[in-house]
Amino acid sequence: MNFVGRRVPLVDGAAKAAGRLTFVADMQGTESLHGALVFSPHAHARIVTVDAAEALALDGVLGVHWHANTPANHYNSSIWHIDQEALADERMFPEIARHIGDRVAAIVAETEEIARHAAALVRVEYEALAPVLTPSAALRRIGPATGAEGEPTFDNPVAEERFAFGDPEGGFAAASMIVEVDVSTPRSHHCAIETHACRAAPQPDGRILVSTPCQSVFAVQAVVAQALGVPADRFRVVKTPIGGSFGGKAEPILEPLCAHFAMVYGRPVSLRFNRSETFVSTRTRSSVTATMTLGLRRDGRITARQTDIVVDIGAYSTGGNYLPGSMLQRLVRLYDVPAELYRGRAVYTNTPPTGAFRGYGSPQIHTVAEIALDIAAGRLGIDPVRIRARNLVAPGAIEPRGGLDLGNARARDCLQRGADAFGWTARRAIGQGTGRWRKGVGVACATHINGCYPAEDEETTATLHLLADGRVQLILALHDLGCGADTTIAQIAAESLGVEPAAIDIVAADTDTCPYDLGTRASRMTYICGEAVRKASSALADRIRNDAVLDLNAAAGDLVLSSASVWRGDGASLALSDLAARLVRRGVDLPSATRTHRATANPGSYAAHFAAVEVDTWTGSVRVCDYVAAHDVGRAVNPMLVEGQIHGGIQIGIGYALYEDVAIDPRDGRMRGDSFSRYVLANAPEMPPMRVLLVEEGEPTGPYGAKAVGEIATIPVAAAVVNAVNHALGTELATLPLSQERILEALARRDIPAAAE
Amino acid sequence: MSGPGFAAPASIAELGDVLTAAPRPLRLIAGGTDVLVAGRALPASGTLVDLTRIAAMRGIAVDARYLRIGACTPVAALCREAQVRALLPALADAAAQCGSVQIRNRATIGGNIANAAPAADLVPVLHAAAATLRILTTGGTIADAPIGEYLPDASGAILDVVIPLDPAWNRSGFAKLGPRREVTIARLNIAICAGFDGTRFGKVRIFAGAVAPRPRRLARVEAALAGRALDAATLRAFADALADEVNEATRGRASNAYKRRAVIGVGMDALAKTVGMDCDAHPFAGFSP
Repeated sequence: MNFVGRRVPLVDGAAKAAGRLTFVADMQGTESLHGALVFSPHAHARIVTVDAAEALALDGVLGVHWHANTPANHYNSSIWHIDQEALADERMFPEIARHIGDRVAAIVAETEEIARHAAALVRVEYEALAPVLTPSAALRRIGPATGAEGEPTFDNPVAEERFAFGDPEGGFAAASMIVEVDVSTPRSHHCAIETHACRAAPQPDGRILVSTPCQSVFAVQAVVAQALGVPADRFRVVKTPIGGSFGGKAEPILEPLCAHFAMVYGRPVSLRFNRSETFVSTRTRSSVTATMTLGLRRDGRITARQTDIVVDIGAYSTGGNYLPGSMLQRLVRLYDVPAELYRGRAVYTNTPPTGAFRGYGSPQIHTVAEIALDIAAGRLGIDPVRIRARNLVAPGAIEPRGGLDLGNARARDCLQRGADAFGWTARRAIGQGTGRWRKGVGVACATHINGCYPAEDEETTATLHLLADGRVQLILALHDLGCGADTTIAQIAAESLGVEPAAIDIVAADTDTCPYDLGTRASRMTYICGEAVRKASSALADRIRNDAVLDLNAAAGDLVLSSASVWRGDGASLALSDLAARLVRRGVDLPSATRTHRATANPGSYAAHFAAVEVDTWTGSVRVCDYVAAHDVGRAVNPMLVEGQIHGGIQIGIGYALYEDVAIDPRDGRMRGDSFSRYVLANAPEMPPMRVLLVEEGEPTGPYGAKAVGEIATIPVAAAVVNAVNHALGTELATLPLSQERILEALARRDIPAAAE
Repeated sequence: MSGPGFAAPASIAELGDVLTAAPRPLRLIAGGTDVLVAGRALPASGTLVDLTRIAAMRGIAVDARYLRIGACTPVAALCREAQVRALLPALADAAAQCGSVQIRNRATIGGNIANAAPAADLVPVLHAAAATLRILTTGGTIADAPIGEYLPDASGAILDVVIPLDPAWNRSGFAKLGPRREVTIARLNIAICAGFDGTRFGKVRIFAGAVAPRPRRLARVEAALAGRALDAATLRAFADALADEVNEATRGRASNAYKRRAVIGVGMDALAKTVGMDCDAHPFAGFSP
């Protein structure tokens, strides 16, 4: 292997470091108009009138937009196909504001400064309505989610998923111990460095060009078309370089407004949120409250499991109706559980909407399940690693919900190798210590999917062209979110073609020039797009060898591609740039290849994480002191980027365990954590030394054996940290985040044992 | 849209002219780490006064009786300067935990006082050290005021922070508790100045930050240490008094239940530093709150 398995630097790294990359916020020419939004200060209120007289009187203000003068189409911001059926409950400007921070009106003006100044002068008359602010209150507002005409009712549950497998009753009857645990997870926010921003510009042909840092240009096109009630072909969407997303930019938020304003005024329009607007008026991760009941034999084998989970999806459905099903799908792929009962319900509340966030339900469900399993292990007196080893799936296991083969599932390797590297047995035996500081170690496992199979649209098409200068162009709507997907894909292409990854010219994702692709979601970039590129690059390599037969006077089968040249066995070679020049002179089309890859499997990626913590029992502060992450990635195309993904995943997960919460006040729906002074992330000084172990046993259906790592990297982290804290303190804390208050409160409820367990 | 006027005096005399004559309201700016925080609007009228060109407002000077710190001295200089570290280690420690490296390079000691955030890190130390502020008033005169009497919006421009040096107050300590260890806003901080001869305390002054709008003097906690030997009974009395006074200061607030317990940990850390123990070596670990 020349490039696969190598630590190739990011193909766009130098441009990023030098500030040469143009982000959408850098694209505002002087001809651009700017918008600023007016947000609801009420969690639930009818917008009676908007009085913008004072704002409109300002120089440079062009107009005000609100529900009375804006297309009133209902849409769903999570759709990915044009005309896709989905619970359409959003509007560009609703008649009823459904959360603090909901969009009430917008001002369009010559500059952002004028627009923001004018927006502050808009007076809105509201008629306050009773808000629903907690999942338990939401479950008292029961009814079908849509009315007779398909209109949204905002009744609950938005979605309900029930599942039964095996003989749960018998399983619980056969258990020597039944453990019931309540777990709840917080609303966390993506905190990408780049806030939400977008630009829309009318084109000479009358269409609107939407430039946006997004996760799917086709999804943006579909949502904009649905929101504006205008055919999708009126919009061309191009992906701009993205300053972080983590799922926060998966759903178009500003794009419909921006496109609408560009059509109204016939001029380019830029919109961008500031930090607090991004907190309050985009998306958060949904929170869950769950009860998990485990039936266990004395040796730790799970005999039955029952899960009841309520997902608070906030003010609008977005893709939240999929969550109860997604969580079930991910739950049943980790342990071999002979009997399963599951009920998941998604409910609306008058709080900011939720959406995709690194794992789409997996962080929540695995956090619930891994904390519950650890508490069960504690009550049963079994070592947490041993109880997991006893129940983890094996390679080739079939999951019970969809009957899918989990592929070369190396969960047990992750657990065993991770435990060895961490020194689990010895560290677990050392004890917590006495006095103010207590030590603990914790483990958690996780699995995640690879793409959307068996969904029938899980396919993609890659086209590779040899360019006249010898470089190779890749046409595929790739959306690198900053994690290095472009580099990984370029390495896969470079492998068969024998060119440097930097010589692969990846076109920007563009609805006009790229074939349809689902975009960056569901951990599908390397596994799905990478396999399409592997097939196309292998086909292009064959074409190039065939086209070089004449010039090198050798059979195609005797030619090898390497160092940007075609080589004959005797050492004679022809540079690809020379070959391209000769083909052009001869009037022969330059070689290209197109391949479609349709997924045939959805194997599991696996991980086992190990955390060591020290807890200050006088202040409730937790310090994560050491960390080992073992990951089954099939094969690491770029180990450096894989490690980077895992390091970043640990950072998000430590925050999820200990600090991160937008903290919506259950009394009035106000978000307390709406700035970086009040929303606490794990920063560099809080990061422990991290060791990453890669289990590379190869997945037969993945490109060069590769599987996904992007989302799973963060999934087991919070549970590993929480389990370590519970080990340190002898507690069963399960309400996240484990803030200093929660820890001291739990310790105050009882004396800390002198030496736990 | 009009903004405020702008003045950039180059000397204290010129600053005096600006303070007496420039259009109101006056808004002083030095490092800008509070004034320029995004989202905080500048006043639409009045005068923005840039203090950074006045060389006489920067620098640290020591004589036999006083440590003098110019109001525009950056926080980073307070953690760097050996004299501050030697004479008032609590101030050097508080400065080292103020914001981030970038913020410390810009933020000034005068700004930390004038911004008057309840969680300001330097201010409890300055209270414990009985600092005096030399102030150029809006009337153009220079006046000295004990830091406890300083009124942020009414007093004028702080020129210097003057800290008395007295061998009877040979020790100081500062500790802070935030949700994370660095680049964090204090939920509690404690500053101690004391005389300590290696076994027994002399006089003691203790202030807590982030329990009230301004640093709060903890007189009963001082009494628990003053004149006592550092022994188990003293630690017990110190911890009980801390919990008691912080309970009183935060009564009725949501944070009360947490802060009255957690303050013992913060106080013990500040005490450990005051008597020269290494906080990473888990001092007083045998004590049980």
